[in-house]
Amino acid sequence: MDYRRALIWGGVAIAVIVGGVLLMSPADEGVENVTPSRAGELVAEGVRVIDVRTPGEFELSHLPGAENVPMDSLGASASEWDRAEPILIYCTTGARSAHAVSYLEAQGFETVYHLAAGIIAWDGDLERGSEIAPMPADVTPGAAPVMYEFSTDW
Amino acid sequence: MKPVVDRLKQEYEGRVEFRIYDVDKSSEGQELMRSYGAQYVPTFVFVNSDGVEVDRAVGETSEAEMRRMLDALE
Repeated sequence: MDYRRALIWGGVAIAVIVGGVLLMSPADEGVENVTPSRAGELVAEGVRVIDVRTPGEFELSHLPGAENVPMDSLGASASEWDRAEPILIYCTTGARSAHAVSYLEAQGFETVYHLAAGIIAWDGDLERGSEIAPMPADVTPGAAPVMYEFSTDW
Repeated sequence: MKPVVDRLKQEYEGRVEFRIYDVDKSSEGQELMRSYGAQYVPTFVFVNSDGVEVDRAVGETSEAEMRRMLDALE
């Protein structure tokens, strides 16, 4: 009986210790795919935002405060960055940024947030140059039926 | 998808307007895509003459399926 009780209390003690260690571990380390609303919180918190699209795409519109680091210059730029600083990364649809996230993770960056659905899923304000672009206006229907195709070369 | 869309565009000319956006290059396309809540490419949105979305296809879509959705617009 005493042996069984000791076994139970031992199990409880181990569970408490393991739980405590997990709770004390930094939860935000590694790569985390984030929703647009979570990305909005990160932007508001001042997390470094990296846009890996081309300069032309960046010029059209980008997340507030984003830095443009196209894919072909990511390696050179990232070598100068503090690997402990959290980064939020995105592209148009998440395809290119997924490669960038893998690269940064392999390079030892500790906290990488990935807006996996891309800028097209972003529902906040956008910057265009120094101007803040408003949310898109409602689409005015045409006289004829319309088929919209949204695609990309990627 | 491009050959299929090109063929359908020719076939439905004058009856259905095709608006095709490369969302990597077109800010208008990005804004429209956002306003339609589309999150993946390619996405096809079918809007009737009242401006009401009646159908939508995401990803590779067969020509027969595209044709069915286009016919439903008329």
